[in-house]
Order: sequence, then structure tokens, then C-alpha cells
Amino acid sequence: METPRIDSGRIAEVSHGLDRSEVERREKVFSVADLSVSYHGKTALEGVQLDVHRNTVTAFIGPSGCGKSTFIRCFNRMNDLIPGAKVEGTVLYHGEDLYSRDVDAVEIRRRIGMVFQKPNPFPKSIYDNVAFGPRVLGMKGSMDERVEQALRHAALWDEVKGRLKDGALGLSGGQQQRLCIARALAVEPDVILMDEPASALDPISTTRIEDLMHDLKREYTIVIVTHNMQQAARVADMTAFFSVIVEEDGSARRGILVEYDSTTKIFTTPSDRRTEDYVTGRFG
Amino acid sequence: MRVSFQAELDALEAGFQEAGEIVLRSIRGVIDALRTQDVELCDEVIAFDDEIDDRYHALEKQIELVLARQTPVAGDLRLVLALLHSGLHVERMGDQCVTIAKLTKLSSHLDTRQTVIEGLVDMGERCAEMVKVSLTAFANRDVDQARGLHALDDLVDRANRQVFQEVLGYVHDAEALEWGMRQITVARCFERIGDNAVDIGEQTAFLVTGEFAEFTDASHDPSPLQ
Amino acid sequence: MTVVDGALASGPPRRVWRNRLFQGAMLLCMLVAFGTLAVLLVDTLVTGWPALSSQLLTGLPSTLPEEAGARPAILATLYLGALVLLFSVPIGVLTAVYLEEYANRERWWNRAIEVNIQNLAAVPAIVYGILGLAFIVRGIGVGRVVLAGGLILTLVVLPTVVVSSREAIRAVPDSIRQGAFALGATKWQVVWRQVLPAAIPGIATGSILALSRAVGETAPLIMVGAITYVAFNPTLFGAYTALPVQIYNWTRQPDVDFQTLAAAGAIVLLVIVLTMNAVAIFLRNRYRKQW
Repeated sequence: METPRIDSGRIAEVSHGLDRSEVERREKVFSVADLSVSYHGKTALEGVQLDVHRNTVTAFIGPSGCGKSTFIRCFNRMNDLIPGAKVEGTVLYHGEDLYSRDVDAVEIRRRIGMVFQKPNPFPKSIYDNVAFGPRVLGMKGSMDERVEQALRHAALWDEVKGRLKDGALGLSGGQQQRLCIARALAVEPDVILMDEPASALDPISTTRIEDLMHDLKREYTIVIVTHNMQQAARVADMTAFFSVIVEEDGSARRGILVEYDSTTKIFTTPSDRRTEDYVTGRFG
Repeated sequence: MRVSFQAELDALEAGFQEAGEIVLRSIRGVIDALRTQDVELCDEVIAFDDEIDDRYHALEKQIELVLARQTPVAGDLRLVLALLHSGLHVERMGDQCVTIAKLTKLSSHLDTRQTVIEGLVDMGERCAEMVKVSLTAFANRDVDQARGLHALDDLVDRANRQVFQEVLGYVHDAEALEWGMRQITVARCFERIGDNAVDIGEQTAFLVTGEFAEFTDASHDPSPLQ
Repeated sequence: MTVVDGALASGPPRRVWRNRLFQGAMLLCMLVAFGTLAVLLVDTLVTGWPALSSQLLTGLPSTLPEEAGARPAILATLYLGALVLLFSVPIGVLTAVYLEEYANRERWWNRAIEVNIQNLAAVPAIVYGILGLAFIVRGIGVGRVVLAGGLILTLVVLPTVVVSSREAIRAVPDSIRQGAFALGATKWQVVWRQVLPAAIPGIATGSILALSRAVGETAPLIMVGAITYVAFNPTLFGAYTALPVQIYNWTRQPDVDFQTLAAAGAIVLLVIVLTMNAVAIFLRNRYRKQW
């Protein structure tokens, strides 16, 4: 009897979720150690430690108020724009301290792009939206090509190629969000941060964005915050579960990282009881 | 849309079909072993069962992941459940082949009776055909073809009863009786393979219609046990 | 669920009457306000109609009412308007940008500025006139010229321009700024390329409304010497009189024909101001953004 052509491992190959060892073999893009964030002295997030690896999708999940949005904003120093926000601990980006004094926050944001929860296209034309980033950064080369490439990458080109001069605000919600993604891609970033990118969108647009993430991770590193844990289950390679600790007297709440592991592990055999309670929907 | 999810489902189904093909080869193997009383072939079939078990466990593991990560619903959920059950049936068929092989080895030193051997080979071939049909019906989502398995199963059952009758006649010959009783067990294994094939057919019907119904139930079988 | 007979009819009589009384009171107030305005307008129109002529618009002032015109005054008013726009818009907008985008609200001096902008808008215009006389006309020594008048009127309307520009800038959603920052834009790039362009309609509207107020100011101009009798076209560094002042002076003449002229002048001034307001409203409606 002949040995069969294909082995049982083929089934696992096709699955898009990488397992932990696969992920950890890849270069570290971010390395966070003992990170805490406070607003006007009140701790919002405490003691976070994790690594984000190249060309993976990492998701942050957890109940509201657990600090996941605060955390993701640490990666591109958007917390600098919030008065009273203080970040302690280290965030290394390709081995360099993001918060050291000689680091220019503006330069960081070119390499670490962000897409927000509510699509926020500029009140300009589609073309000018995508071209804004390259223009302010003084990027050389054909702007037309740059815009087209970015729109193609964001799976929007075919829908807007005939009306680039039209106002961006005339697009549908899902299209606007893809435009925001194209805008971020136009400056050739290394990392794309997405803060609940699909929560304001309908299911079809959400699926489109998720499929897009799957494609984008081949070239970029993606970190997403989502309150929809099924979304994390579908798209992420690694998932971090954050939770809230409430002070005894109920006065202060702060967020902590409970568990960080491969998505498969989090959704099949989580190590921490709290994680299990959250993903099974028994949290509360 | 959901391209990677669809690819995962396709891979699951392909894995199942492959496992089915392998079991088919095992069945053909034991049929040949019976006809030629080839002990080495029996050993090969027994060893090969590990491959079938591995595949089933891989399928089961992957189904767990798909359920956890993709939360399939509607047709996708039925497909996953049908694959889980059918995979188990395939694995059972593999186990039946091992039993047949072991029994053949065990009784290889005894004389054979051609009528019984022919009866068993006939059963085996009908079983192989049933497995083929069940796999094809599943792949094509063909409910009618799946229902047709019930009629094929009747033939296998009939052949089973004939073997039983034949062996009853060996009551006066101790050696022949010993051999004959082992062959009855072999026949029963073939009959079980047939039942498993029918079960796969039922899963096909569930997959397509959304309702699970037994094509035939031992407790409701109109034809008498003889 | 059954509805009891009459349960859907109006409630107790007192509630209904109070409602109607309130509606009536509002109607009355509106009638008083608009009625008064209507009466004033109609009266001016009727009085001034006979004197409306090209003579009024193109002629020089004269002691004879039949020959008097308000050309120098009209021109000066237009020049003053231009000067006000020229000075108040850049200074006002940049101040607003500073206050909204750059100032750290926790610093006491910024909060002090904040509070005082509102106060400045409430200062009577004549106070600016006195200020202008002391510091601009005499202090800097520019003299009683058009430039001085323009500068003083700028001071008068500057707080308003600042306030309306701030409103316009504040109305730009923060998500736009966040989006621009996230792409790697500097603070100035965000302001210059996103916030200001988006705020322009609001700024324009506010500026034109401020301008139309400036154009109607009389008291501060009198203080800084928009002298009564000017029979030549005004220049930047020359003596001048403005239309409101001209109207004022005509009303002080005993000859009743001058009263008519004054009313006619008022109509011209009204037309200028109403046109400006119409432009402001047009701009606001045209560029109203749906965020």
C-alpha cells in the first residue's frame, strides 16, 4: 500500500492563525516592559508587559475601561496629545526606546500609523485625503502613483478610481474607513494600529476590513483593539486580554494585562480563569 | 469574502475525503487478504490504521479550532458538525478493517471453505462500494444518492445472514466450526462498515436539509432478523 | 389595551391655558421687537426716499442741501471697512488659533486672556475712541487720518472676530486633528492645512458680521476726528469723515432738507450693512459642513 500524497499537517497549514512558536520566531517590533499610564495622577493602566512581532496581527480585548485604547495609543505616542497623560515604563520599537528625549514623535507617527474607531476622513477630496500624509512629510515621487498604490492596497481603488476629486465625505462608512486605511498606508508605515476599526461599520464592511487585515499582515505589522472578541478570534494571531481592577472602596479603576497568548490558546484553553470567564461571556 | 475561512473549510473537507480514500484502500486490502489468505497484507492493514487515527485526530483538532475561532453558523456549522461525525465513522471503519485483518491472521492456519470466503468477499465488495458512494454523495451534497445507501445496506445484511446460515451447517465439524465462527465475526465487521457508510449518508442529508433523520433504525427495521 | 373614552383629550384646563398664555406672550414680544424695527425702517425709507439720487452717491458735501452729496463719506466708510478687514482678520484669527490650539489652559495667564476677551467685546465703543485718541492719534502721532480710524475700529471689532473665529475653530471636530497628527503632521501643519481651511466659512461669516458693525460705528470716529466737513476724496493719511458721522452732522442742520438727506444717507448705510450681512449668510449656508 502506497503512502498517501498529503499528510495530516496540511489541514493545519491552511489555517491563517499562526501558533505561538511561529510568532515568536519573527522579529520583535515592539517590546513593552512594566508600562503604566495615568491621567492627571489617576492610574489607568498598570504593569503591562508584552512583545509584538513582525507581520502578525495582535489583538487587545477586554471590557470597557480596561485601558486597551490607552495602551494602543502608547505605541505611536498619541497619548502625548492628551493633557495630563503620563506614560511610565519602556516601549521599545525595533530595540529603541520610543519615549527617549531625542525621539521625534512626529517621525514615529509616520512609521506607526493609526486608524480610528469612527472613520475620520478629512473634508477634502479622496485624492487629497490620501495625498495629505505624503505632502506634509515631503515625500518625493509621483503623487498620483502613491495615491493609486495606497488605494489599491486598501482594496478601495476599483470603487473610487473614477472619482478621485469627489469629496471623501460622500463615501459610505465602510469606504471611508478603507480610505482612512489607504491614507495611513500612503506614508509607507511599518506598523498599523487600529483602534476598533470596524465597530462603527455594518457586518459586510466589517468582513471586508477583516479580509483586508489578513492581506495587509503580509507586509505590515498590525495591532488592533476590539471590543468584539469574535473579531479577535477571526483575525488575530496573538491576543492580549485586559481586565479592570476596582479598588476596594470602588473609587479607582485601573486596567491590567491578564493573559497574552496565541489566539488559539486564548479561545480554546485559556490559562487564566478571568480570561475564560470573559471569552465565554460570563464576565460581570 | 472570508476567503481564509472558506479555505479552512475546504481543507477540512479535503482532509475528510482523503481519510475516506485511505479507509477504502484498507477495505480493499482486507478483501484481498481474505481471498488470498495473505498474512503479510493483514499486518500492513493493521499498521496502517495509525495513519487513519492520526488523520481523524487532526480533523477533530482543526474542527475545534474552526469552531472556537470562526464561529460558523448555518450551513457552515452543519458542514463542520457533519465532518466531525463522518470523520468518526471513517475512523470506526478503519477499526473494523483492523479487526477483520486480525481475525484473518488468527484463523489463517485453518482450512477455509470457499462458499463462506466468496460470501465474505462479496460483502466486502458491496461495503467498499457503499463507502465510495457515501463519500461521493457527501462531496456532491447528493441526498438521493445518500438515501440509496439504505438499499445497498440491505444487500450486505442479506449476505451476512447467508454466511451465518452456512456456518450453522458446520456444527458437526469442530475445526470448521472454529473457523466459521471467526468468519461470522468478520461478516459482522463488514456489516458494521456498511452501517457506518449509511451513517455518513445520514450526515449528508443533515448537511443538506438541516434535519437529522435515521435512514433506518435497528429497532424499527421491518425485515425480520434471521 | 383599551383606551378609556376621553382619555386622549387634553388634560386639565389650567395646563392648557398656561400653555396658550405663554404662546401668546411670546408672540407679543416678537411683534413688539419686529414691529418696532419695521416702523423704524419704514419711517427712514419714507423720509429719505426723495433725496435718494446719484447726486447723493457721487457728489461732494455742500452747504446747500440740493447740491450735497456723500461721496467722500461713502468712500471713507469703504476704506475704513477694508482697513478693518485687513487688520482684524489676521490678528483675530491668529489670536484665536493661539487660544484654541496652542494655549495650555492650565496656565493662569491663558485663563485670564480667556475671560477678558469676552469683557473686551462688551466695552463701549467710545472708550476705544478715547483710547485711540490718546495712543494712536496723539501717542504714535499718526494724526486724525483714515489709518487711525481704521486702527481704532479694528480694536473695536477685534474681540468679536476672535470670539467668532474661536467658535469656528472649535467646531472643527477633534477627530480631524487626531487623524492628521496620526499621519505624522506637526502642530503647525495640522492647524494650517486642516483646521483653518475647515474653519474658514465660520471665520468668514464672523469677520463680515464684525465688519458690518464697524462700518456703523459713529462715536469712536468722532472722538478721533472724523471731521465734519470734508469736500475731497479721502486718502490713507488724509482727513476724512465717515458715512455715519456725515449722517449725524446732517441731522444737526436746521434745514429740513438736510434731515431728508440724513435719512437718505441712513438708507445707503443700511444697504451697505445689509449687503454685507447677506454675503455672510450666503457664505455660511453655502459652506455649511455636515461632519
